[in-house]
Amino acid sequence: MNVKRDEKIGVILFLLPVLILFIAFFVYPVIYLVIMSFNKWSGFDAPVFTGLTNYIKIFTDKVFIRSITNNIIWALVAGFVQVPLAVLTAILLSYKPRGWKIFRTVYFFPQVISGVALATLWSAVYNAQYGMLNGILRILGLGHLEKNWLGSLDTAFPALLIYWVFYVGYFMVIILADIQSIPEDYYEAADIDGASRIRQSISITVPLAKTSIVTCMLLAMINGMRQFEQVYMLTNGGPSNRTSVMVLYLYKEMQNYAYGTSSAAAVVLICVGTIVILTLRNTIGRPNY
Amino acid sequence: MSTDAVRIKKDAIRIKRDVSPASIILSILKWTFLLFLFAYAVFPVIWLAIASLKTNGELMANPFSLPKIWQFKNYTKAITVSGIGRMMLNSVVISMAATALNILITSMAAYSVSRFEFKGNKLLQTAFSSGILVPLNALMVPYFVLISNIGLYNKMGGLILVYTAIGVPISTFIVMGFMKSVPKELEEAAVIDGANFYKRFFTVIFPLSRSGIVTAGTFQFLTCWNEFVYANLLTSSQTVRTIQLGIRYFTNQFSTDYVSMYAAIIVSILPSITAYVLFQNQIIAGLTSGAVKG
Repeated sequence: MNVKRDEKIGVILFLLPVLILFIAFFVYPVIYLVIMSFNKWSGFDAPVFTGLTNYIKIFTDKVFIRSITNNIIWALVAGFVQVPLAVLTAILLSYKPRGWKIFRTVYFFPQVISGVALATLWSAVYNAQYGMLNGILRILGLGHLEKNWLGSLDTAFPALLIYWVFYVGYFMVIILADIQSIPEDYYEAADIDGASRIRQSISITVPLAKTSIVTCMLLAMINGMRQFEQVYMLTNGGPSNRTSVMVLYLYKEMQNYAYGTSSAAAVVLICVGTIVILTLRNTIGRPNY
Repeated sequence: MSTDAVRIKKDAIRIKRDVSPASIILSILKWTFLLFLFAYAVFPVIWLAIASLKTNGELMANPFSLPKIWQFKNYTKAITVSGIGRMMLNSVVISMAATALNILITSMAAYSVSRFEFKGNKLLQTAFSSGILVPLNALMVPYFVLISNIGLYNKMGGLILVYTAIGVPISTFIVMGFMKSVPKELEEAAVIDGANFYKRFFTVIFPLSRSGIVTAGTFQFLTCWNEFVYANLLTSSQTVRTIQLGIRYFTNQFSTDYVSMYAAIIVSILPSITAYVLFQNQIIAGLTSGAVKG
């Protein structure tokens, strides 16, 4: 439908609120961050232009390097461990084993619980004295493996990384819906050719559900880049900054009234996120966005 | 090959496959995997719920024992100490307001963008959907400055505004997809009946995209309900504290009284669990629709 003159005003009027919010909360903040990242600002007096000082500061800061590394590990685990697990689960459920709908409902369930609540739940699981994990180890006769999971240098980050990996429900549901839209004929033809189900999954299911799989990888990796609540609640970056991530770093800089440094860290985060998106797009395939 | 022959051959393949030892092992692996994920999703919650009904002594002695006497008083204590009632109310008000506003403005914008052709239309669509991928947590400094400058720091209005805004890209994306599928003829019929731009939106397009709007609304509500980063950044006093922010303070409030803290956690996730049990299909559709091609 072409815009008639009297409708022009309507179209603009209807777009206006969203446009204002989009500019104020998505476009302007990014520009603001870039500008502020070249300044020193405590939030009280006027910002002072300092060139690349903030960037030099964060890239020579071991904690920030550790944070980027942790975020990259996090994103890779999300994209290349969690999503493949979700693909596997979706394929298994696509054959509709007994009770598959119940499995689907239960797998998705952790998704409705907030990140903070889940983190608190897992801090109870990892608790050194009365935690569930140490309790299980004791029952299994593995008491010597008991640990202060979130307090030890060698286990804190793996403990943070591992607990959400098996929550595959969200990605599984997206991929399963895509798999279920693949026509039956392909599988019937493959059956006749004597292709095993594993073979069918590799040659039919995965290629035909590729768009949803790539979309999930993208969402998972972006999620890995912007982690905050879990780390904040479970370790607050400790022990000795071993588990710090970029958002936690920029949050802490902000709490120290180093708005410029915080902005520089945010700009780096946005750049790394963009690189992840573009790399994924140009190597594995196009997602839905 | 006739259909019967195909079926017989297929059955033969199936039977052959079902008895081979390899397939039995695969089947065992499959069920172990499926049941492991099942237990993983529910067991920690159930464990926490049981622990919340014990005494601290019982919890310390054995994390897996059942309580001798069910300590419902842990819950009374959890509710009074944490002030959870007020926080729930704040969360309800903020989430409902932010959802209503968000849905109203995004469905208006989606109507303009999806059903009218004008210069920059495609650009807007691309901009909105790439907004989905912006790592919002990176925008703490500008959001903090912006909200403080307009005098909404530590006010519910500040959170309502931020939540309305951060949901703009995803809601527009979802609703746009649904509005594109409403047949042009219906709108043209309304034009002939003399319905103007606004009337067509409210009487034709909005009602016909209802399922998309409900889906986007579900997503938006759950995002607001579960949001933590900006609730933490943009408020400071107890009177505007949301439930997610409240969870952060449980550790301070209860210190070593773990069982009461566990009870408070259970109370705080109860609304989500109840909603999921009642509306699981709606919630699953709502949360995943943003990732499904619109």
